[in-house]
Amino acid sequence: MEFDFSPVVDSWRYLLDGVGISLMLSVWTMLGSLALGAAVGLGRVYGSAWLRVPLVFYIDTMRSIPVLVVLVWIYFAMPLLTGLNLSPFWSAAVALSLHIAAYVAEIIRAGIQSVREGQTRAGLALGMSTAQVVRVIVLPQALVRMLPAFGSIVSVTIKDTAIASVIAVPELLRRSETLAGQSFRPIEVFTAAMLIYFLLLVPATRLIDLLYRRVAHLGRS
Amino acid sequence: MTLDWSIVWEYREDLLHGVLLTIALTVITMIVAIPGGIILAMMRLSRSRILSTISLCFVELFRNLPLILVVYWAFYVMPIVLGIQIAAFETGLIALCLNVSAYNGETFRAGINSIREGQVNAGLALGMSRWQVMREIVIPQATRRVLPVLASTWVSLFKDTSLVSVIAVGELAHVALQIRSQTFRVMEMLTAMAVIYWLLGYPQAKLVDWIHSKFKVAE
Amino acid sequence: MTMIAPKESGSTPSPVLIYEKVRKLYGEFVALDEVSLRVDAGEVVCLIGPSGSGKSTLLRCTNALEPISGGTIYFDGRALPSVDRDIRKVRQRMGMVFQNFELFPHKSALDNVAIGPMTVLGMPKTQARERARALLAKVNLADKVDSFPSNLSGGQQQRVAIARALAMEPEVMLFDEPTSALDPETIGEVLNVMKALAEEGMTMIVVTHEMAFARRVADRVAVFEHGTILEHGSPEQIFENPETARTRDFLSHLGWDG
Repeated sequence: MEFDFSPVVDSWRYLLDGVGISLMLSVWTMLGSLALGAAVGLGRVYGSAWLRVPLVFYIDTMRSIPVLVVLVWIYFAMPLLTGLNLSPFWSAAVALSLHIAAYVAEIIRAGIQSVREGQTRAGLALGMSTAQVVRVIVLPQALVRMLPAFGSIVSVTIKDTAIASVIAVPELLRRSETLAGQSFRPIEVFTAAMLIYFLLLVPATRLIDLLYRRVAHLGRS
Repeated sequence: MTLDWSIVWEYREDLLHGVLLTIALTVITMIVAIPGGIILAMMRLSRSRILSTISLCFVELFRNLPLILVVYWAFYVMPIVLGIQIAAFETGLIALCLNVSAYNGETFRAGINSIREGQVNAGLALGMSRWQVMREIVIPQATRRVLPVLASTWVSLFKDTSLVSVIAVGELAHVALQIRSQTFRVMEMLTAMAVIYWLLGYPQAKLVDWIHSKFKVAE
Repeated sequence: MTMIAPKESGSTPSPVLIYEKVRKLYGEFVALDEVSLRVDAGEVVCLIGPSGSGKSTLLRCTNALEPISGGTIYFDGRALPSVDRDIRKVRQRMGMVFQNFELFPHKSALDNVAIGPMTVLGMPKTQARERARALLAKVNLADKVDSFPSNLSGGQQQRVAIARALAMEPEVMLFDEPTSALDPETIGEVLNVMKALAEEGMTMIVVTHEMAFARRVADRVAVFEHGTILEHGSPEQIFENPETARTRDFLSHLGWDG
């Protein structure tokens, strides 16, 4: 069997733009899921009982259905319901954010609950209000403890952006498919795509591991 | 917008067939990937540098690749490399097994490594053999740590089976999307698909929560 | 000559804390059963007794970290409030030191001490840090201001925790087994700081298993068992001449032979 990587080499610009779109989608998804996940996670821990019911339902629903299902529903069905037409890119950003936010919310909840009760007591004993205890004592420690989990969220996000190829977002995987079809060189093209994803993902997760190792003591009460 | 939900009932047999394939993919993948993960963990922890490196590369590779890309890769590359035609179902199954075995390998490795060395030394000090220490001390403790993670992986796997729809494996997502494009009942079909996944996935997610709370490790 | 009264004589001692038939229940379990006690200004009261006898519970109730189930706790003449805002006002006037230090791991020693005045009293950062620096010097940790809790020994952490409580300029200090989690060689440095504090006239309630400390530093000792005070009195009285057999038993179990 002969390998011919020239289609990949010839179209490097095309694929590189795809990488750019994958990364843009990852960044927007991270921002969206962090904002939404933080709101849901905090609401779940500190919110009133009636607020918790819908939040838990939302989290468990997202844990129960595939991200692909959310994606195609947002892209194909939501416009029929709302009349709002989002581009494939923004549909993907919204769908991935909705899905990943549920995991972020769970991470935030677990992080907060892992901070020892005694820390809260120490803050209260100084005369702090509950809000001050949360802001000054619990959250900073919880954030440090959440870092490794956020590392896996970064990795999951980049991987999930590949699913956006299903609704024709021209990111790396979509462009690889196109190129594979045009060049009749699927082995070379998909292997190259694998290599690129691997090279994107490994440093991203390693970087967060490294950062965590440097700050871990700040969360160890 | 007028909705016609009867379409869901009309295609109930196709949908049911899709559900069965989704379940089959999940179950068979796990049946393969648990021994697969154990072998990978054993290789990784073995004294052979070669086996250990092979396992590390395998695990790191498949954990750092989008599953959907692995599915495409299996679909296009395997027939050429192996020189045989493989059905879509088997292709999807292979991709899932590669992915989940890698995750399970890491789960088993971390589970075994999480047992403090003092526990092993305590066993050895009693005069146990390495194998006895493994069987009597390490594995029972590691199981408590491994089971909850396996349960979470199970639910992820159940959801990830939807990704093999891109190579036309007739599982639930593919069936529903097909019906959608044939009948143009987009809203109904996509919502029905979401609801069916929810009905299947929600109890599993709750079961995972239960397993996590039951096996909460007291240090 | 009659003009200059000797110190403390003549003026009746003023109570800082009065416990009146305080009860605390955890479900069925009676943690405190009608405990009555009075702590005067400048007094050091040590609470001793077996684990689970209610000493620590009484401290947490004093600080309203736990609500009481019955009776009353008076602080400075007023019953402990139940409204959150008023509770915070009271807590600001009491310092508490915990068994496990509970330093904030994400803050340096200096900021651990400064954080109370900054967040609770709204003190400017420079001023709060100045106060913190002085207090850390007072507990002999002037050279550790920039260290993080993870780099401090247990004894050092506990001294930072004492400085943190003092930073709020409390009227009473509550110590909840402050040396129980410490290595034997660092217990002394913490007890010395506490002793110095007592000599300055700080009102202190100390839950402790350090009998030598109670014997030497306390003005009064109260012996707890099963949520009640078996007896209380001067250290001489309790250690040399205990009234009840139970107290004698408890002391002899600890190896105290008078």
